[in-house]
Amino acid sequence: MSHDDWQVLWQHMRPAVRSFVLLLVLLGVNVTLGATLPFSWAYVVEGVVVACMVLTVLLVSMEVLREPPLMRLFAALGFFWVAIMFTMTLVDYLSR
Amino acid sequence: MADIGIAAEPVDLELAEQFTTKAQQREAATLGMWAWLVTELLLFAGLFLCALILRIQHPQSVTLVTTHLKFWIGATNTVVLICSSLTMSAAIVTSRLGWRRFMLGALLATASLGSLFLLLKGFEYYQDYDEHMMPFLADRSYVLAHDQASVLFLDVYYITTGLHGVHLITGISILLWLTWKASRPAFLQTHQNRIEIYGLYWHFIDLIWIIVFPVLYVLNR
Repeated sequence: MSHDDWQVLWQHMRPAVRSFVLLLVLLGVNVTLGATLPFSWAYVVEGVVVACMVLTVLLVSMEVLREPPLMRLFAALGFFWVAIMFTMTLVDYLSR
Repeated sequence: MADIGIAAEPVDLELAEQFTTKAQQREAATLGMWAWLVTELLLFAGLFLCALILRIQHPQSVTLVTTHLKFWIGATNTVVLICSSLTMSAAIVTSRLGWRRFMLGALLATASLGSLFLLLKGFEYYQDYDEHMMPFLADRSYVLAHDQASVLFLDVYYITTGLHGVHLITGISILLWLTWKASRPAFLQTHQNRIEIYGLYWHFIDLIWIIVFPVLYVLNR
């Protein structure tokens, strides 16, 4: 591979490499919290970290941001239905 | 040594008769994959919800189980899948550039990482078996038999990780078939978007594990 090829590859791979590093850092946070359990409400932070990781994969790796509006709507609707299911079920269990 | 550049192959799509334009064909394929992924998401979401409800209803039993699960193997497997997502992205990028040989290498690297995940998962299951953590085996004692609620969480653990494993085995099989197809010279000129469509599936398998790991292994262990 020539120097120019590496330049081209890096230019195109930059978002993927950045999301890779971000995912590893976020995983590191969750693994540290899981291994040490420094405070009783660590699950809140762990939940937020997971949400950030899912968003990173969706928006960068799966390139949802680059898709046309119909595709973005479809992807968002999938998670919206899951959110409805979780909310309605957990409201019941958590309010008993 | 001479600085030899990569020879890029032409990248295009063969228009199928039912489509008016190539853009329409690409969008239809992507939308079809998303429709499939959304149903998959709902399938796994039901299992995640079961795990969370068990955590709410039987917190002590779940904590007891999670201390027996192989946390570090789960964490290592998460790193392996995140690495496989990077190689899949590399395959997509190089397929767009027309770098077929590089793309084939990235696809094989992705399949190898997926296989490594399965090997580690198999080793984890073996350790669970060795430690008598398989309550569904009638001829083998269960180490947490005194805590019946723990069986429920372990069942969810095996169903979820097993289902994810099946998706990974399917994914690796399709990936190897796709790699074989893509090794033909005219592939990128006629079917480049197959790499992109398949990439969505692989990233989705990664996304599901990113949720499985904390829900089963990490949350307040």
